[in-house]
Amino acid sequence: MDLASLVTPLVGALSAASSLFIVAAGLTLVFGALRLINLAHGSFYMYGAFLATTLAAWSAHTGLWIALAASPLLAAGMGVVVEVGVLRRLYAREHLTQLLATFALLLIFADLALRFWGKGVRGVSPPRVVRGNLELAGAPVPLYDLVIIGAAVVVGGGLWLLLSRTTLGWKIRAVVDDPEVLAASGVNVRLLYTGVFALGALLAGLSGVIIAPQQAVEPGMDAQIIVAAFIVAVIGGLGSITGAAVGALIIGIVETMGASWAPSWASTFIYLLMILVLAVRPWGLLGTPER
Amino acid sequence: MTMYGPSGVDVGDPSEGSVDPAETPARPPGRTELVPRLLGPIALVVVMAALGFLLSDNVLLTLQEVLALAVFATATNLLLGQAGLVSFGQAVFYGLGAYTVALGWLHWQLPFWATFVMAPLLGALVAVPIGLVALRARRLYFALSTLAFSELAYQLAESRYDFTKGANGVFGAFVPTALTYPRTGYLFVLAVTVASLLLLWKVNHSPFGLVLRAIRENRGRMQALGVNVYLHQLLAFVISGAFCALAGAMFVVYSQSSYPELLDWTTSGGPVFMAVIGGMGTFLGPAVGAFIYQFGHDELVRYVSDWQLVLGVVMLVIVMFWPDGLLGGLGRLARLLRKRRGDR
Amino acid sequence: MRRRRLAAVTAAVAMVATTSACGASSAGSDSGGTVKIGISTSLSGSIANLGQTGLQGLKLAIDDINKNGGLLGKQVQVVSADDNITPATGASNVRSMITSDHVVALFGPVASSIASAEEQVAAQYKVPIFFHTSNDASLMSKTFTPYAFQNVPNTVMEPRAVADYLAQQVTKSQPITIATFAPDYSFGHDTVDGFLKALKDLHVNFKLVKQEYPPLGASNISSYLSALVAAKPQYVFNAQYGGDLVAFTKQAASYGFFKDTKVIAMYAYAPLAALGDQAPAGAIGFDRAPFWAINNPQMASFIKAFQTKYGKYPTEWAILAYSAAQQWAWGVKKAGTFEADKLIKVLPGANPPTILGDLTIRACDHQTEVPEYVGTLSSTGDSQFGGLHLYEQPVFTAPFDQIALTCNEVQSMQP
Repeated sequence: MDLASLVTPLVGALSAASSLFIVAAGLTLVFGALRLINLAHGSFYMYGAFLATTLAAWSAHTGLWIALAASPLLAAGMGVVVEVGVLRRLYAREHLTQLLATFALLLIFADLALRFWGKGVRGVSPPRVVRGNLELAGAPVPLYDLVIIGAAVVVGGGLWLLLSRTTLGWKIRAVVDDPEVLAASGVNVRLLYTGVFALGALLAGLSGVIIAPQQAVEPGMDAQIIVAAFIVAVIGGLGSITGAAVGALIIGIVETMGASWAPSWASTFIYLLMILVLAVRPWGLLGTPER
Repeated sequence: MTMYGPSGVDVGDPSEGSVDPAETPARPPGRTELVPRLLGPIALVVVMAALGFLLSDNVLLTLQEVLALAVFATATNLLLGQAGLVSFGQAVFYGLGAYTVALGWLHWQLPFWATFVMAPLLGALVAVPIGLVALRARRLYFALSTLAFSELAYQLAESRYDFTKGANGVFGAFVPTALTYPRTGYLFVLAVTVASLLLLWKVNHSPFGLVLRAIRENRGRMQALGVNVYLHQLLAFVISGAFCALAGAMFVVYSQSSYPELLDWTTSGGPVFMAVIGGMGTFLGPAVGAFIYQFGHDELVRYVSDWQLVLGVVMLVIVMFWPDGLLGGLGRLARLLRKRRGDR
Repeated sequence: MRRRRLAAVTAAVAMVATTSACGASSAGSDSGGTVKIGISTSLSGSIANLGQTGLQGLKLAIDDINKNGGLLGKQVQVVSADDNITPATGASNVRSMITSDHVVALFGPVASSIASAEEQVAAQYKVPIFFHTSNDASLMSKTFTPYAFQNVPNTVMEPRAVADYLAQQVTKSQPITIATFAPDYSFGHDTVDGFLKALKDLHVNFKLVKQEYPPLGASNISSYLSALVAAKPQYVFNAQYGGDLVAFTKQAASYGFFKDTKVIAMYAYAPLAALGDQAPAGAIGFDRAPFWAINNPQMASFIKAFQTKYGKYPTEWAILAYSAAQQWAWGVKKAGTFEADKLIKVLPGANPPTILGDLTIRACDHQTEVPEYVGTLSSTGDSQFGGLHLYEQPVFTAPFDQIALTCNEVQSMQP
């Protein structure tokens, strides 16, 4: 077997998985702590990407680097506004209400984005240092794919550290099980909720700016990404970051195999997988069982 | 008509809300009570039929679409309001109904009357395997599973384009010429709507409907009583699927076309939102919601360029501040007024 | 309980009454010196740019008409609406424009399924409709109505033109390896099939090494792209457009894909502008109306006027919309009336002067005899057009009679 023919699909799968993970991580984190499905997650992602194009247009060399910090901050700010203004009032209500509310927000943000950035396609180039590719066992490996894989590792590792090694992380994990006890022990649960939602939004904004150099930044990208993020989060287990990583890997591999052998059926199979998981193990591969 | 819980559907925890005893009839209505109760709906039907001869063609055509959506929303509410099952996948059946008529004509030259009857039958048939699988997941996961089915159906319609004609949709003369005239089309759709709503009403007010509501209030208790919860929910799913498919076939009378978007999750979200606007806890609420939503949407899209913004804000305000919907709110108002009067 | 049902019934009746009030009042819109035309198109979502720029082109055309004294002494007003990429919304928009606004002409949407829906309504109400963006060939054949006109190269013409160009570039003796990459929906499949068939008809010696069909709207194509790269084809025919093509190009470029492979795709103004200096030099681009390749004084002044008004160069959709409006206006003047039945007698067979030239509107299918443009992307920016990387001159212009279906073929499909 020729090593080169293995490298390309492997890198392709890992890169696809990495993009999916970075986007889904925030979505699953927010569900894990707040028990809330945020359809507007895609909006934060889109705004992060659009801001990157604006900054890159303003300054060709440093714009993207500035966006790396600015986009997550913008998204986090939007997240705070959304949580305090809207979602806070809906925690006691049913999931349906929350779903509809976040869908309404998706519409609102989509329209505002059309106003700010227009209806055209925008683009941002990756920094010169990571353009092009390098040779690995005779096959070309895009440098930017390696950047995305690296970013996924950093985000995943950072989140793991945060959740398992810090007091904040412990509080985030605790608030799901027993918010009253946590509040009684002096933790400001309201602030915690806002913080977690903002963190989820921040991750979405970050994923937007990281993925933007490889994609077209255009209207509709908010709705496009949300379904994919969902599938990953559900299969991996809503609420589990490791689950999101596993789910992303599975989808990446299935897509790559599908692309080679049965191109038309890969996405059908992915939906079937999601349905199967929900039927047999609804809390996902690595989620916490709840009945 | 009974009121279902204080805030409509409870999807998460078992609800503490109980049915207001003043609302439940203690015994089935006798003949002397039946006539005044029926007067309202009969009058409404007569008025709507008469409007078929008074309104302009444009409005009649829009009403055809609205009536189809009213059946779609009411059938969805069988799951949503009655059974407490939030489904984001009823568009699978709606689209299936539409495609049955369209593809039946395209591939096998089947006449409209045949495919129109086939549509709800196919809807019921397809609802069985989908329900069997999706109902294994509970609450939120059920909603996500139905959403996945909706997207799957949409994908299949787009990609199996040799059979479904894909994104281009199916356009053709599959509706008999008589029904393409706005007035006759409207009267036909109105007749089917009345019949469908009557049947769905019967389902709501049957012992089966009672059990569904009881399951919604307290699943555990019903299981302990020996009720086969899964089977009841499956049956509700099948009935809903059949009527959603019928609604899809009715839609074809209006649109004379079928296309993949009829299957995707945003189409599934439509009747859910209509039920919320009109009132999930009431029978006619979803139909009222369909009316408001479709007319509002059509006007909005025509005259307001930032229609997404307006729609989003309205949706947000409604779900945040008016969760019982229009009829639910009116009902609460009526009870409030009655209580005030009773206090004096 | 009775009270509640009464409330429900009252609400329903009230609503129906309101509707009838709205429906009964016919807005008297033909006030004195104005006449209205309507355009329902996609102004939100991923294809918003196509709809928006088409609308801009149309508006500019109407502005120019109004500045020159209007049409038959009347000022023209444009009524527009967003179809939300849904055929039912497009159809109801158009119907409402006809019955409430009394528009005398309609201009086309972006998506072909919406165009089919609008075509039905236009035929029913006998209102002329001009398709300048949606290009499915069935619009003028299978679902043809004498009230419809199309001035954009259709789904048969476009791949044939590309095959023509490719046939000229390759030698017949050496077989070339080809792969295809198209979104998994009807347009993608139709375009690819049309291209391959045209290659066979031209006796091009080729071998198909890979066919990829990523799902429509997939944001993540790296799996499909890596499979394509591994196949190492000499040519790739890509049926994507707009933002999807931009994403493909960026990701393929990072594989160094363009060094050994010639990609053939719809590299039009919008994706080229988004790509900037990442536009792949040496790739083959095709465009339905590239502003930099159509040289005549009318076009030159149109480009300048468009830039002044909107700050950008015109996309092909803007150009086609503008020329469709010119065709309509010419027809109205020639017929001396806005009436549809007289208008549709005057236009077929005529060659109204437009910014695309004095092209003939073929009588058998109302298709304007437009060419399709194919060229090779240049490695240097064009200083005349703000440094954009465009096609090397001269741009190949595939003539209409070589790429279109014959009248016989079309008429055999018409109802």
